[in-house]
Amino acid sequence: MTATHAPPTAPRPAPPTGVKRRRALLALLLIVGAVWSLTGLDITLDRVLGAPGDAWDIFKRLWPPAMGEALDRGVVGKVFESVYIAWIGTIIGAVLSLPLAFLAATNVAPRWIRIPVRQLFNAIRAVPELIVAVIFIPITGLGPWAGTLAIGLHSVGTLGKWATETIEGIDTGPLEAVEATGGRWVSGMRWGVLPQIMPIVASFWLFRFEINVRASAVLGMIGAGGVGAELVSQLRFRNFTAVGAVLGITVLVVLTIDSLSAAVRRRIIAGAARTSGPDVDGDRNAEALADLTGFRR
Amino acid sequence: MSWRLPAFTSTPTPDNYPVRVIRFEDVSVTYRGGVQALRGLDLTIEDGEFVVIVGLSGAGKSTLLRALNGLVPATSGSITVDGTEVVGASAAELRAIRSRIGMIFQTFNLVNRTSVLNNVLMGRLGSVPAWRSTFGLWPADDRERAMQALERVGIVEKAYVRASNLSGGQQQRVGIARALVQEPSVMLADEPVASLDPVTSRQVMGDLRRINRDLGITTIVNLHYLDLAREFGSRLVGLRDGELIFDGDIADVDDDTFMEIYGRAIGDDDLVGTQDDQT
Amino acid sequence: MSDGGTARPVRPRPRLRTLGIAGGLVAFTLFAANEVHFDASTVWEVWTNPLWEMFWPIPWDWVLDRSNVLDPLVETFQIAILATIIGCGLALPISFAMSRLTTPNRPTYLVSRAVMNVVRAVPDLFWAKLLVTAVGIGAFAGTWALSIFSLAVMVKLFSETIDNADPRPLEAARATGSRHLPAVRTGVLPTVLPEYVAYALYVFELNIRASIVLGLVGAGGIGRVLEAQRQFFRFDRILGMLCIVFVVVFVIEQVSVALRKRLV
Repeated sequence: MTATHAPPTAPRPAPPTGVKRRRALLALLLIVGAVWSLTGLDITLDRVLGAPGDAWDIFKRLWPPAMGEALDRGVVGKVFESVYIAWIGTIIGAVLSLPLAFLAATNVAPRWIRIPVRQLFNAIRAVPELIVAVIFIPITGLGPWAGTLAIGLHSVGTLGKWATETIEGIDTGPLEAVEATGGRWVSGMRWGVLPQIMPIVASFWLFRFEINVRASAVLGMIGAGGVGAELVSQLRFRNFTAVGAVLGITVLVVLTIDSLSAAVRRRIIAGAARTSGPDVDGDRNAEALADLTGFRR
Repeated sequence: MSWRLPAFTSTPTPDNYPVRVIRFEDVSVTYRGGVQALRGLDLTIEDGEFVVIVGLSGAGKSTLLRALNGLVPATSGSITVDGTEVVGASAAELRAIRSRIGMIFQTFNLVNRTSVLNNVLMGRLGSVPAWRSTFGLWPADDRERAMQALERVGIVEKAYVRASNLSGGQQQRVGIARALVQEPSVMLADEPVASLDPVTSRQVMGDLRRINRDLGITTIVNLHYLDLAREFGSRLVGLRDGELIFDGDIADVDDDTFMEIYGRAIGDDDLVGTQDDQT
Repeated sequence: MSDGGTARPVRPRPRLRTLGIAGGLVAFTLFAANEVHFDASTVWEVWTNPLWEMFWPIPWDWVLDRSNVLDPLVETFQIAILATIIGCGLALPISFAMSRLTTPNRPTYLVSRAVMNVVRAVPDLFWAKLLVTAVGIGAFAGTWALSIFSLAVMVKLFSETIDNADPRPLEAARATGSRHLPAVRTGVLPTVLPEYVAYALYVFELNIRASIVLGLVGAGGIGRVLEAQRQFFRFDRILGMLCIVFVVVFVIEQVSVALRKRLV
């Protein structure tokens, strides 16, 4: 015992209580929230226990997917229609958002125009594509164009926000150089800002495209073109193997697009990193941030 | 009051230039946040001079240059270039003034992702209509000017190379070419060699000196390497805490002068040294 | 002037591959535009369409009646809370399984990655519709669907964080001879926990938004009211609802953003 007995030193500090208290508070909050929600939604234990069984029952019936029939019915074409909707929608969003982003960035735009444009982006982002489509359809009619407009409009908000953040992260040196030669604001944007942001912005556009493919599939469910309508009708008639086929083809196409897009995005970012431009870590963080804010925004 | 000189179709020689004088009169610059970078500066620079400005970081060197072309607005006083007032000039007037003043930077400030030639052409942004430059439709005259500028700094063979693929010294030369293509009457250099090794630094300073002699372009260079200042300067201006405390011929300068400007003894960091000194 | 030293280089021609790719993209875009019935004139028609009158005036008495908007909104809120808890809760172990740094063995790694990729490839509302068919219309299906969605998002974000985490504490824990699970618990979890909570808050924000539209496919919440009103063409009520909803969403998001800032 004498070996472990230390000579007298400063008195031992008490363990911190703040962390424990905060954790307890957090746990309490979660439990209260959960209980309130469970009772409010009338979710009882037997429902919870029964649900996996019911779900499994349905999922079992999706297999084997009736691929042959699906191909005959033109499901693949419908999935591609969703892809086209996403493509054009993303392009519309990109083309509209980029000029606006220049007007929204703190380092290049004056206050009086910056604030309205930023608020515009926020307002647009707040409205999910589905709701935009709901509002548009009675006016434009059903079909892929309504979906394209909905996706295009919503994308302006997200892409605008990301582009603005990218612009705010640039090295202002080249911009200063443009100013020093007597160039106008537009030239500053064209030569001082645009070359720096293009790789990252293009990568964002592709990432948004990936998300939009899923969004356009969903829009089909309310009649805005694409494969969603197919899913809904097959479910209504309870043709589960057909549903399985629709899901399978959709998943295949989405996964393929995701891989292709990710590969292209990596190449773009790698190409940008080869120059002594914005730091690579910043780009990676931007990508992670894009992933972070990406799924619905 | 507009300062529009006839466009030159060939690289200008000293005979073409009318006499030009840069005058700072009681110029003060206070940044937002209260930092006073220049206090009551009085300085006159004649046409064709090669002036080296030295001082510690924060002494006001960068501010002086940027006040001259209006990148930083002066809080009070008057800055005139051949009679044209910079302080309080409108945006359009400032652009006109800047198009006749070339500037090179410590960090080169090139557009890394595009070619050397495009970078040099950017010097013409002050004179080419915005729509043409935005879409890259530079006039043939300007392309010729750009090529000539690249030839003058000796890297024309790199014209179509991506700017980021060049070495530091080459990139600064592109910066010089970009300034030259403006056909400027004044050249401002803000710590042009701070990022370069000793050999390259001397090459670039030599280029600046040569351009000043051959083309008669008034050149103002910020340096914090005192040996370079002595090697290449002809007139030395010393700033300390925003005040001008020395202004004279480089021949009259010795170590004591530098110590007075710096307010401390000279150290190794203040000399670029030679290649052998590099550890 | 040049003394005739170095010859000027010739302007390089654009590479055939670049032209090919650009041309291909343009062709694809034109083709796609045709397929979606691209029609710029409809944008103008949309703007001037008299049907916009259906959106005005907003019937505030109906909108502010509890049972019409506020109660379903509360239901939406509850769906979001539960889905976040379930989804993020499940995401914790799965993310560890999916991350190269902390996965116990290769098969677990591969299987969990594959499954999560497929789950993420299914559009979120497809899940909702499937589950509605399976367990019936209502908030129950919505909660499940949103849990799956939360799981997918959370796993993607969190596993990337784990991948980037400092591996040294884990090495140290392993070096003491600890088994895999405790090593991860002490070596990695504390480092990544703040980000976990931040992501969870973010997922909660997403879920608030997503749960609004769940009802459009019958999965409960305010979306059901939206769908019902849509079928009766009561767009004025829809607009009123959306106003309230977005104000509430905005407030929740600001709180969440503020909390997140304090964490990371």
